[in-house]
Amino acid sequence: MRDDMWARVEPLLDGVERPARYLDSEWGVRVRPDASYRVALVYPDTYELGMANQAVAILYDILNEVDGVAAERCFVPWKDMAAAMRAADVPLHTLETLQPLRDCALVGVTLPHELTYTNVLEMLDLAGIPLRSVDRGEDDPLVIAGGPCAFNPEPIASFLDAVLVGEGEEAVLELVEADRAVIEAGGTRADRLRALSGVPGVYVPTLYVSADGSAQPGCGAVVPADAATPRMVTKRALKDLGSVRPPTCPVVPYMDVVHDRAVVEVLRGCTRGCRFCQAGMVYRPVRERGADDIVHDVMATLRCTGHDEVSLVSLSTTDHSQIEEVLRRLSRSLEGRAVSVSLPSLRVDSFGVEMARLVAGGGKKAGLTFAPEAGTQRLRDVINKNITEEDLLGTIEHAFGAGWRRVKLYFMLGLPSETDDDIRGIGRLVHKVLDVARENTPKDQRGGLKIGVSVATFVPKPHTPFQWEPQLTLPEVRRRQEILREAMPRRGVDLSWHDPDVSFLEGALARGGRELSDVIEKAWRSGCVFDAWTEEFSLPRWLAAFESAGIDPVALASSERDPADALPWDHISSGVSKRYLLRERERAVAGVTTRDCSFDGCTGCDACGDLGLDIVLGGASRG
Amino acid sequence: MAERTTFRLRVRFGKLGRLRHLSHLEVMRALERSIRRADLPYAVTQGFSPHMKAAFGPALPVGTAGLREYYDLWLRELVPAPEALARLAAATPPGMAPGAARYVPEKAPSLSAALTIARYEVGVGPAVGPEMLVRAVEDVLAESELTVKAKGKTKVFDLASVLPEEPRVESSGSGSTVVLTTRMGATGSLRPEALVGRALECAGLPHAITTVTRTDLLMETEGGFMRP
Repeated sequence: MRDDMWARVEPLLDGVERPARYLDSEWGVRVRPDASYRVALVYPDTYELGMANQAVAILYDILNEVDGVAAERCFVPWKDMAAAMRAADVPLHTLETLQPLRDCALVGVTLPHELTYTNVLEMLDLAGIPLRSVDRGEDDPLVIAGGPCAFNPEPIASFLDAVLVGEGEEAVLELVEADRAVIEAGGTRADRLRALSGVPGVYVPTLYVSADGSAQPGCGAVVPADAATPRMVTKRALKDLGSVRPPTCPVVPYMDVVHDRAVVEVLRGCTRGCRFCQAGMVYRPVRERGADDIVHDVMATLRCTGHDEVSLVSLSTTDHSQIEEVLRRLSRSLEGRAVSVSLPSLRVDSFGVEMARLVAGGGKKAGLTFAPEAGTQRLRDVINKNITEEDLLGTIEHAFGAGWRRVKLYFMLGLPSETDDDIRGIGRLVHKVLDVARENTPKDQRGGLKIGVSVATFVPKPHTPFQWEPQLTLPEVRRRQEILREAMPRRGVDLSWHDPDVSFLEGALARGGRELSDVIEKAWRSGCVFDAWTEEFSLPRWLAAFESAGIDPVALASSERDPADALPWDHISSGVSKRYLLRERERAVAGVTTRDCSFDGCTGCDACGDLGLDIVLGGASRG
Repeated sequence: MAERTTFRLRVRFGKLGRLRHLSHLEVMRALERSIRRADLPYAVTQGFSPHMKAAFGPALPVGTAGLREYYDLWLRELVPAPEALARLAAATPPGMAPGAARYVPEKAPSLSAALTIARYEVGVGPAVGPEMLVRAVEDVLAESELTVKAKGKTKVFDLASVLPEEPRVESSGSGSTVVLTTRMGATGSLRPEALVGRALECAGLPHAITTVTRTDLLMETEGGFMRP
């Protein structure tokens, strides 16, 4: 079977770009041909993006340890390969044993962001699996999604049989066990779905209906269709990261993938409390791994993969209470081996720069990235970004004094309450940064000095204190961009924009309800796929899809929601209460900041209580 | 800083099966990773951005397999060659498995400069009979030059110079194989499938090339061709 399938796939490779996407056979692959229960783990984009995703690597590792279960990878073939597969009638299959997806027991898809939705449909179509859950039969696999978009699954719910909300390490085992038991007992597809909805954290969309059929798009509660179904689906979260063994022998790609390096997670969650940040709200509370575990896993992963770089990942790595100890121990252990350590994000203070210096050693100083997000103190207080201008300028002084010559700053346009003066404030701040950078750079090196400034459009996300806020309309984004362009220093700045058209679509999809299924399907049918790829994205095609479905995307993205109204994701709980989100919203309006509860006492978000968890620092519960 | 003594290990490896679809860069990176996994005491280059000291033979294009490819690896400590080979074999995917390892003098010429002769086998499917293929190849060889257009560039090869041995056609169970030897020059190398492809095209035959395999890489000496 496997050889037969390869004989059909291989001839297609001579005519496509980057055949390394489709080869399998990498170091670290797990091939379990005898397993009776096969799971396809899908990342809904190309191989080089999917292989950088840690969720896929974690679930691959965990499921392949279970007797009788095989987990295999699948990515969305690029357009050339998809066309070749359709022409040759080759169904989408897993990499490891070339199992057609439609013959797997379960297809698990991670949903990293809204722009992958059309790729999910492309994946289903290439696999020959009916697009909509209601059209699937007894022989079709269960299609289950997880990842960040699980916190508002409604827009894509019609295409999914189930959604796993939150962290998957424990839940995926329970879910597979529950499903295998039903299959063993000869149960039907309906029995399987019913059993899944009994697993905490699992949402089965077909068991829920919209409470008010006449509700306008983006509003209206979703409720169970019967009494046997839980009213609220609460996210899963691990009590203690020390209880799971992270993958230290992941698959090592041949191809130059995004973030081509070993990855070790150092902590989960972030309680800095930035009010625009969905990850900071939905992954609470903070749970750090112990320094010993981190150092051990770094060395084990490097030994097993042969990577020459390891990244210590999390939402805020330099906030780890033992980060300095970890970095010192690693730099001793890795001495003389041309292996480097990288930190994905840096705190805006001297400590952050010192950590970057520890990592760089005497070697290359790559650019540093900081995220002030807003240009004035007033607006930074509104969004609860607890850094001051002095913090930033002090950090820049420190960084350039220590030899860095490249810095990138992230800002957002269109944050709630933003005025034209706040936008000009970004320009004023960048002027000051440039001055400080120049003063701390030797005269002969000042010529090439550049500050990167990257500006994204604010997209209000579900489960944040800003979930009721309107997003800027496109004409207004353009007007404000002009103001910012005017306010920027003429020289020494590289200004780049995140495409506002893309942010607009993201906003319309992020806060929609189940009515968006039609829009997504129409968009895919009209050719939308790989929407996250700049050259593939087409706003006009999406607008046409909205129009033919009779839904106004501008109203969806840019009208303010009434906090009294139900939202389409109210039945999904991240543990953080709506009461807390509303209180944070009021504090934002008043310009009052909220401290980080990991260090300064509880701020009452209710996550710990709701989830039965506690903050874990340095691998030990604060208790 | 004084140069530390290093030991130059020459490793022969393959690029086989599915892995023929990898690019040269992908092969190099995968082999460097296997060296790190084997935990060999590799030397590191001095300088701003230190990296493993290793050097590879001439590149193989995407899609072309290789039976006897080479890289040189500089070690800080002398690890007996059979031990180094065993450690590499345990840490390398089967499609790139190392076949031999031995130390060569530090002053030996680089692989990329020394390896100027390549032997290839080009597989042609059963759509083209062996006799037709023989005649087609003969016709192309009757010309003194071969013009190849690739990626918008035109290259003219002097066949007498790039083909130091007469190509021959062998018939096998499921088709035939063109066996040829090319000399790689500073101005570029003749791709064997370009020659065979042209032969098929000129003879009005289908483009039935199935596989391309580099079977050997050789140094040219006064006495003839020699393996490195």
